[in-house]
Amino acid sequence: MMIDVKMTVNGQERTASVAPETTLLTFLRDSLVLTGSKLGCDVGDCGACTVIVNGNAVNSCLMLAVQADGKDITTIEGLSDFEHLHPLQAVFEQMSSFQCGFCAPGMIISAKHLLDKNPHPSKGEVQEALSGNLCRCTGYTKIVDAILELTSEEASAA
Amino acid sequence: MRPFEFVAPETAEKAVAILAENSPNAKPLAGGTDMVVDLKHTNAVPKVVVDLNKIEEFRGIEMTDRGLRIGSLVTHTEIMEHPLVAEHAPAMIDAARTIGAVQTRNLGTLGGNLVTCVPSLDSGPVLVALDAEVTVVGNDGRRQMPLTEFFVGPRKTALNPDELLADIIVPTAMLGRATHFLKFGLRKGQALALVNGASSLRLDGGKVADARIALGAVAPVVIRAGKAEDLVNGTDADEAVLAEAGDLAAGECKPIDDFRASADYRRDLVRVLTKRTLETAYAIAKDKG
Ligand SMILES: Cc1cc2nc3c(=O)[nH]c(=O)nc-3n(C[C@H](O)[C@H](O)[C@H](O)COP(=O)(O)OP(=O)(O)OC[C@H]3O[C@@H](n4cnc5c(N)ncnc54)[C@H](O)[C@@H]3O)c2cc1C
Repeated sequence: MMIDVKMTVNGQERTASVAPETTLLTFLRDSLVLTGSKLGCDVGDCGACTVIVNGNAVNSCLMLAVQADGKDITTIEGLSDFEHLHPLQAVFEQMSSFQCGFCAPGMIISAKHLLDKNPHPSKGEVQEALSGNLCRCTGYTKIVDAILELTSEEASAA
Repeated sequence: MRPFEFVAPETAEKAVAILAENSPNAKPLAGGTDMVVDLKHTNAVPKVVVDLNKIEEFRGIEMTDRGLRIGSLVTHTEIMEHPLVAEHAPAMIDAARTIGAVQTRNLGTLGGNLVTCVPSLDSGPVLVALDAEVTVVGNDGRRQMPLTEFFVGPRKTALNPDELLADIIVPTAMLGRATHFLKFGLRKGQALALVNGASSLRLDGGKVADARIALGAVAPVVIRAGKAEDLVNGTDADEAVLAEAGDLAAGECKPIDDFRASADYRRDLVRVLTKRTLETAYAIAKDKG
């Protein structure tokens, strides 16, 4: 069985015919070749596959592509182009917040989702917002610091 | 994932008809946070997956003459952000906040949580402590039942294979009732409950009345600690009463030993949780005057 879907991905309208058993993650990676979102645990624990669907951060490994029909999706690729990094990406780079980088797209998407809802989070709120994103390298400190650094820069610039 | 057919009907009536036609090889899908994991990693793949997300009547939170109505498709995040819940049943927000992580709460629904009927489900205790009722829709119409009857056993509800959970109602008489929820897990973030629970009560002439103590993860389904409730009714919930209530509740539950914790430890947690939730519910009630 194949089902026609139409969705907006990073501002672009995409149409495709998908099998129902395809997850949104597999669709993004294999059909649209947006390989920034990662397949980690495949059961919703690790957050490496986090994308924003209609304003909500979700695990794309737990959503069927057919369920994303008609929805608006933002992946890590939608945050920047080859010339400009998103401020979150820039601050993560500047603060050396990653080692292997596998969790990075999910972390940054979760951070973006947080800042979209709450532009000036406390440290506790940042930790809570990232609790669905696992990192096995850096131990989170520099990741949390980077987000707080960005929001304090913005506060002092304002 | 093994192949399956997918349908997304727009009404509850169509959905239950499809379930009946394909019974027992069809299964409803809501947020998918449990179901998609099962589709991938178990052999229990149905022939037809019936996506409920287009059924508008399963959405929304509103006040009705019967009480606060929450559609089964309402997500945990929507519960956390809804002013009617904050005003009339704020303990539901405390419970929703402990479920998984942001991503899980953005997809996972209240209905899906209740239908999984795992003993540790975090939305259970507050709703049991508030005498919640559920509406079930089937091919012969609709029926209403208390949530405590909906929970039949571990992973088993009162739903027939061709029935759906439509909504959850917190009855008018229980709105604004002093309630407190606590969950103990092995970590703060994204941990299943070793024990969770909620107490609710009202005051009658300054004394505790109609106390409800609901405990999760310590029996096949969410239970009420009836002896502990009887003990606190009519008292000022002082130290001695709370300590004894905790002991009674610990005796009323039947926790299991597993790799997460021993039964003894869980029983100890029940003692503490019962005391603390009663104490806080009592303080909230006093505060309201
Ligand atoms: C990483 C992670 C962490 C989690 N943490 C927690 C936690 O801390 N606490 C907790 O309680 N749960 C937790 N869960 C479990 C799960 O997220 C919740 O139970 C969630 O609310 C399920 O809702 P859903 O909409 O995703 O259900 P689905 O996965 O869509 O469905 C679950 C089951 O319910 C059935 N169903 C769904 N809706 C209906 C309906 N309206 N009528 C009839 N049947 C229906 C489906 O057929 C399926 O059998 C976690 C899950 C993950 C992946």
